[in-house]
Amino acid sequence: MHKQLTALSVQSVCHWFGLNHVLNEVKFEVDAGQIVAVVGPSGCGKSTLLRAILGTHPPKSGKILADGKTVLGPSHHVGIVYQHYSLYDFMTARENVAFGLKLDRTSILFRTLNYPAWRAVRAEHLRVADELLEKVHLSEAANLYPSEMSGGMRQRVAIAQAMIMKPKILLLDEPFGALDEATREELQLMLLRLYEENLQAIENGQTAPYTILMVTHELNEALYVSDRILGLSQYHSQGVQGARIVYDRAAPVFGTLDGRDFAMFETQKDEIRRAVFDAEHNQHHAEYVTFWDDRTKK
Amino acid sequence: MIREPISPKAKLLLGICSICVVIGLYSWVSIRQHAINPRDTSIPNAGQFVNGFQKITHRDEDVIFLKSEDVIEGRFKAETSDSVDFEMITDSGEEVKTIAKQEIERIQYSNVPWLWQDIQATSFRLAVGVLIGVVLSFVVGVAMGCFAPVEAFLLPPVAFFSRIPAIAMLSVYMVVFGISEPMFFALVALGIFPTLTQAIFQAAQKDVSEHAVYKAYTLGASQFEVIGEVVVRQILPRVIESVRLQIGPAMVLLIASEMLLADVGFGYRIRIQQRLMNMSVVFIYLILLGGMGCLIERALYALRRQLCPWFGE
Repeated sequence: MHKQLTALSVQSVCHWFGLNHVLNEVKFEVDAGQIVAVVGPSGCGKSTLLRAILGTHPPKSGKILADGKTVLGPSHHVGIVYQHYSLYDFMTARENVAFGLKLDRTSILFRTLNYPAWRAVRAEHLRVADELLEKVHLSEAANLYPSEMSGGMRQRVAIAQAMIMKPKILLLDEPFGALDEATREELQLMLLRLYEENLQAIENGQTAPYTILMVTHELNEALYVSDRILGLSQYHSQGVQGARIVYDRAAPVFGTLDGRDFAMFETQKDEIRRAVFDAEHNQHHAEYVTFWDDRTKK
Repeated sequence: MIREPISPKAKLLLGICSICVVIGLYSWVSIRQHAINPRDTSIPNAGQFVNGFQKITHRDEDVIFLKSEDVIEGRFKAETSDSVDFEMITDSGEEVKTIAKQEIERIQYSNVPWLWQDIQATSFRLAVGVLIGVVLSFVVGVAMGCFAPVEAFLLPPVAFFSRIPAIAMLSVYMVVFGISEPMFFALVALGIFPTLTQAIFQAAQKDVSEHAVYKAYTLGASQFEVIGEVVVRQILPRVIESVRLQIGPAMVLLIASEMLLADVGFGYRIRIQQRLMNMSVVFIYLILLGGMGCLIERALYALRRQLCPWFGE
């Protein structure tokens, strides 16, 4: 099997707002091709961690590397899909998806001074965008504005928009939180399809194309979609110093054709509830952080 | 029941009715007034309106304007070798005056009908003033919305100046520019500037979510691209809307200043004709002003629909 590169490395990240310690020595690594779900009680600093990885709000101490390079600010290495405001209102689905290519590959000067060349490049961008829309099963919505789309369609376009940049890691900030159950399941299936592509690539000895870090408050979703669960929580012996990774274990892997049998999640869900969400269970924080150990044992 | 909808037909009918009621009421008052005094011009009847319309769209070759302070308008009577008999209307009423030939040099002669002169002068002043104001506000407002230091530096003066009644600033512009066209431009442009700037600043700050900005960076945008491709495009419909709302105040400022200081333009003509009790002319000008306002409003709506099809109604 091809050894996958480290897509994201979070090294001893601490963050605090005044006297309020939020993140305390958070460290973990994500290999290319993993879909990692981050769960944790509300107020545990999931958003702070996400913003640090994105680069908009750098951590007070510690370091974050995306693809081996220190994150100094938001860049095309790290993509993001938010729960709300995920698309630009003033562009159609196709233009939204092609937006990244336009911003990243061409400059204002090129677009204004060399208009004919820009038209040609633009046509190519739109073609790539159409391909991606097809991938998320939205070809028919290419010319709709976000206001004309349903919430599920918007999130799928947003994922295509982020994917067009081929980011080293894609952050999903409760991406399906505002959607109804059926749409949610559809989008979870879409993520599983991406994961299957990853497995295919790994089997062929290539680098897996999609690495995803997803924040969610829905444990079933976390277990179903991801192949690894990270629990971030302030409920541990040094909790006053801020939240740490208190849970890091593999999650069962599902194919797109497998049924979703949530009953089989119950044992692991209980474990996560105890380790991550239970304020009384003031355990040593490394007790359930065994992902890498388990993996080497395999 | 409250908010019960009506059919489009009924809507149209009621709209027409309301216009008929206004015209009907006016006609009734006018007829009553003319029954008391057939030569009354304060509430003109249809015939007087036709005369008024002819007055503003036709120009006798010999009707001239004087720049002189107290003379309002005049008409050549006879000409001798070194002086001209001049029938003129002053603040005190009509009289004939003989003035020297060289005085005529100072007389601004024009045979263009009043209406065209006034439309040209007023719409030019309005267009230039609004254009300068919009460009200034746009640049300053967007900069304030995007950069905190610019906001901190400029918000106090902008907020303060927006509290000064704009027309009161006329005296300052008079001192700076004299009584000239630039004075009108400045009054209109700087009159709408503080309010418009604040509206654009608010839009740039509040209507563009920080997520949209962060996301643009992850899509490879440069600083300028975030402003040009995200902020400006997102707030454009609001900017057009704010400009539309400022057309009213701009008109008020312009007409008021023309009434005080201009020698051509809607404000000037309305003031003069009102003094002469030519209310037919005044009313026609008022209707035209209303029409002009509606036209600008429609145009800006159309512009918004053209540029921002995503914004909806």
